[in-house]
Amino acid sequence: MIITRLLYSKWLKVQETWGVFTGELRRIFSDPGVVVIFFVATLAYPILYNFIYWKDNVENVPVAVVDMSHSQESRAFLHRWNATPDVTITHYCTSMAEAEQLLRAQKIHGIIYFPSDYAECLNTGMKTAHISLYCDMSSFLYMKAVYLSCNRVMLEDMGRIQVDRYEAMGYDKQFSWQLVQAAPYTETALFCESGGYASFLIPAVLMLILHQTLFFGICMLGGTAREENNELFLLPGRRRGYSVLRITIGRSAAYFLIYYALGAVVLLAVPRLFNLPHIGNPLAILKLLVPYLLAVIYFSMSVSVFTRNRESGMVVLISSSLIFLFIAGVSWPQQMLPDAWRYLSYFFPYTWGVHGFLHINSMGATLETTAREYIALWILAGGYFLTTCLHLGVMGYIHDKKAGC
Amino acid sequence: MKQIFLNIWHVAQREAGRMFIRPLYIFASVGVMVLCTIFFLSIMKRGAPERMPVAVVDKDQSSISRRLCHETNATQSVEIVLISPNFADARLAMQRGEVYGILEIPEDFYADIVSFKQPTLHFYVNNAYTVGASTAYKQLLTMCNLTSGAFQREVLRKKGLPEYLIMERIQPVAISAHMIANPWSNYAIYLVSTIVPGILSLVVLMLTIFAIGFELKMQTSRQWLEIAGGNYTVAMIGKLLPYTILYIVLGIGCNVILFRFMHFPVMGSSWRLVLGILLLVFAMESMAIALIGALPTLRDAISIGALYGMLGFSLSGFTYPVMNMLPPFQALTWLIPLRHYYKIYVNEALMAGPVMNTVIPMLCLTAFFVLALIVSPRLHNALQYNNYPLK
Repeated sequence: MIITRLLYSKWLKVQETWGVFTGELRRIFSDPGVVVIFFVATLAYPILYNFIYWKDNVENVPVAVVDMSHSQESRAFLHRWNATPDVTITHYCTSMAEAEQLLRAQKIHGIIYFPSDYAECLNTGMKTAHISLYCDMSSFLYMKAVYLSCNRVMLEDMGRIQVDRYEAMGYDKQFSWQLVQAAPYTETALFCESGGYASFLIPAVLMLILHQTLFFGICMLGGTAREENNELFLLPGRRRGYSVLRITIGRSAAYFLIYYALGAVVLLAVPRLFNLPHIGNPLAILKLLVPYLLAVIYFSMSVSVFTRNRESGMVVLISSSLIFLFIAGVSWPQQMLPDAWRYLSYFFPYTWGVHGFLHINSMGATLETTAREYIALWILAGGYFLTTCLHLGVMGYIHDKKAGC
Repeated sequence: MKQIFLNIWHVAQREAGRMFIRPLYIFASVGVMVLCTIFFLSIMKRGAPERMPVAVVDKDQSSISRRLCHETNATQSVEIVLISPNFADARLAMQRGEVYGILEIPEDFYADIVSFKQPTLHFYVNNAYTVGASTAYKQLLTMCNLTSGAFQREVLRKKGLPEYLIMERIQPVAISAHMIANPWSNYAIYLVSTIVPGILSLVVLMLTIFAIGFELKMQTSRQWLEIAGGNYTVAMIGKLLPYTILYIVLGIGCNVILFRFMHFPVMGSSWRLVLGILLLVFAMESMAIALIGALPTLRDAISIGALYGMLGFSLSGFTYPVMNMLPPFQALTWLIPLRHYYKIYVNEALMAGPVMNTVIPMLCLTAFFVLALIVSPRLHNALQYNNYPLK
């Protein structure tokens, strides 16, 4: 009863809003460019990115060996290292110079070097045996694979060697082990167990795809309206005296309807289809999607007022994707952002949306746990709703003035 | 011959006028490049992540567990922001994104360790944020290993072993890692030196499509051809000349900033690196001509250009190696100029490898010119007759 009264009240004349809403839907579907951006890009990009980042983890990085010690110990080490999924020994070189050439030619991405006294140091126990590792820094994923796997093998080996030495000193095996492993440890990846690149990046990219396609689509629609010199196109129904409020609500409802369906497919289906992390409650994701989409829609509508023609928004804003990704603190830790950029990032819906989504989807948080992001999104949605109304109101005022004189 | 140069000059003059009359061109090129360079250099000015927040679940609350906390906190890469006796609190903090790692010290840790009962430390990292997590992981792993080491040292000292022998017992093997050309594991060197040229290539692609497509859209292309004396090649060279000068200045400018002012390493030849960025600009212009020639409608070409351009960053393989992509996509990377530039960059800046490894990607970049040639008849036609839909 109250709702019906509100809907038909002076403020929210439901018929007028409905008219704006259907008109906007018609505009979207009659513009092939917008249809491509809204539907094709939104659905194709997640799949493309999954194909690109196919293997999740970097595996079998080719490495070379320079073994000057020619010992049983070094061979045992290499054997274990080669057995890790991270690296594959592809070359055995007789000198560093030879291995260096291979590395410079990018045939391999790491070199391990055993000095000639390696076995001697281990067996006499008078000096620390040194292994030198040379990592290709052209991609940090190579370095991570080579360095971490080698380190892990070294730690395992070290435990064995230590026990051997204590036994040689006359301690019994049990005691030696208690000494070496005085405080053993376990390591657990609490979320995203694979630790892979795809399972970290793609969930964040999914939110970015929703953001950017919506952003470009709305800028395109706004630009087209401006271009056709029909500012009223941005303000449909204004001639008939519809208020800015009803126009804003009607238009955004059209975008929201389309994107809520698309967003649900992208955020819920893609992680399950490609076996990315998806431990979150789908209902919580759907709830988070509401303020996220509203904030993005009103953010885009506020910006779209400035795009003077259809294509210019795309030309200028194309690099924004990378900036959004980095300023949000996903690809680069939020703590490392200079304050000015961090405060700026709070104004972007993507910053809150992506963290909220990662918390729920990848880390299994509840909506209560990620309340900070959820509330921030509602605040942004409200704020950008007001700026949209303001922008459109000013535009209408200018238009009326022009028409007046 | 003289007429041809004169025509090129006239077209270029006309274009320069168009370039400055709309703020878009300067803003989308100079503005975007300056903004992005400042942005990426400023967010990574520290190089490697430092003081990543971690939590400690101290169930023991003894002097040893406190000492472990102090020592963890004293390292450069992590900072303890939460000490709680309760794992649930720490896990919640992690789910809120407040910490990247958790170190759990079990109950009776002190009592157990001194009585050789081997209490187990646990540490957890959150791989949903990979950079923070791997920083925390490395540090927590080191701390856990040092704990056993410190205990061994104490026991061996009490047994009366000389100090030099103790070190041998604790650390019989050591790895000395050499990070080639980037010994600090500096993320700026790794990321910015490809992101900035990548953004330049994106700018070149979008603006070139826009500059040509806008003529089609506004139906001014015939006038443009007339000034060029009806010669398509002259028209193209004249039109792209002012932009190309601008892009070259931007390209060299960003190289100077990165490799001269920021002192990013250049092991090989910086001249070949500069040549690489020039070829990247030309290849991207050719790609833009190919796109607008294949789809002589501005709005289609811009949309497809944007979709293609964004894939360039992923397909260039500078973060995620190409060898791990799905095979058809490995093939697709050949169509990405940024991929070839990245190869030149790796070879010249990081590896100082054989010159052939620079020359081959350079030839590949040059080959993009063929794409522009293929579409030329079609684009010429479109410019002359304006026979494609305007929108």
